[in-house]
Amino acid sequence: MFFKNYRTVIFVGALVVAAIVLLSYSLTRNSGACIVKNLVLEAAAPVQKVFISLVEGVENAWKRYIYLVGLTEENRHLKKEISGLQTELMLYKEGYLESQRLQKLLSLQNEYPFKFIAARVIGREQAALLKSLWIDKGSSSGLASGMAVIAQPGVVGRLTDVSFHTSRVLLLSDENSNVDVLVQRTRAHGIARGAGARGCTVRYISKIDDVKPGDLIMTSGLSNIFPKGLLVGRVSSVDHGDVGLFLQIRVIPFVNFSTLEEILVVAAEQRVAFQGKKPVK
Amino acid sequence: MIYYALLPFAAIGLVVLQTTLADIFFSGRLTLELSLIAVIYAGFRMDLLPGGMLAFMMGFVFDCVSAGPVLGLFTSIYLLMFLLSFFVSLRIAAGKMYLIALFSLFCALVESLTLWLFFYYVYDIDRIDSILNVFVPQILLVGVLSVGFFSVLRKWEGLMYGKTVQSRQRTGAGGFPTKA
Repeated sequence: MFFKNYRTVIFVGALVVAAIVLLSYSLTRNSGACIVKNLVLEAAAPVQKVFISLVEGVENAWKRYIYLVGLTEENRHLKKEISGLQTELMLYKEGYLESQRLQKLLSLQNEYPFKFIAARVIGREQAALLKSLWIDKGSSSGLASGMAVIAQPGVVGRLTDVSFHTSRVLLLSDENSNVDVLVQRTRAHGIARGAGARGCTVRYISKIDDVKPGDLIMTSGLSNIFPKGLLVGRVSSVDHGDVGLFLQIRVIPFVNFSTLEEILVVAAEQRVAFQGKKPVK
Repeated sequence: MIYYALLPFAAIGLVVLQTTLADIFFSGRLTLELSLIAVIYAGFRMDLLPGGMLAFMMGFVFDCVSAGPVLGLFTSIYLLMFLLSFFVSLRIAAGKMYLIALFSLFCALVESLTLWLFFYYVYDIDRIDSILNVFVPQILLVGVLSVGFFSVLRKWEGLMYGKTVQSRQRTGAGGFPTKA
């Protein structure tokens, strides 16, 4: 009866006693190791593994997420940087090419003892009837109609229309263009006339003159427009023909008119004595 | 009977969980004593026999898994805490959260003091330097966590049983219960 009434209290008391005995035993033996403890540890190990793997899974997922977020941000940043660098590179390249062109012009300026006015090409006209360039300098810069225009390595044409700040350059290849020239090797004189896409033809050279393909054609200086010794082009073909007194000579100009960006205008009024001793390649 | 069969596994799960969480949040410097809060909860909510078994089991598993070389130390302390909670629950209601927090703080303080005295007198180890770094944060942590723990388990009780299980005797209206 007593046990039935106080069963719970007795049981809890037994638990307390068990705990104290366990503590005393552990202290007197000075060792915490026992079979029950080992069993508990054995049972706890898989649970611990599960928790650890869960934690690691979450941690890895989070790290991966953070990594991906960082990667996206880095990617965006790098793309922006690449775009900026490409723009910068393009500017540098453009500057480099411009400096090379200007260097060529400068070398040309040094080769000839003339006063040159540099100008930038601002437009092109490649129509069937008219082949010309527009440049950004005009009478305000000292330009006048009829002045010779050159670029590395030779003649471009001459100024035909000059306004205050703009001028038109009649190209050597235009059919209205006529330039007094001579064959460098034989000193035979002729007139180079524009032939459109085919370059130009040299007329009025007698059939008895010796002209061969590959001969260099240069300005004679007789027209009083182009100074003597400027390169015009190279003979591509010579046709003796059955009739007529003159040779049919085709010339390919040295200057590529479609890629011109800067030119030099020969300021005729400031021309000084030209020796014409420039070695021609 | 199922309760007693599952109790050791539940105790192992809880102790391992608190060890893992403590490792994550405090790098193992502090112990996240969810087991102590569970014992206090058992003191307030459960009868002597199942609650006493729970306290014994929690303490024993804690001793085995993470308490160190002295087997039975936390078993005794948890049983003491359970009995203390049980007797206190006869006078105060578990619904008042500030009382729960205060009582949990008190229990954690008693536990820390017991540990300190035990190590001081038995092993001659003075852990006075750990008071600010370890004991105080741990006591505060138990006080704060107990509120959440009690709230969650009360809601769970409500979902499972439709009402909370604290009897009239446990709210100060009755005497000492003798039956499980």
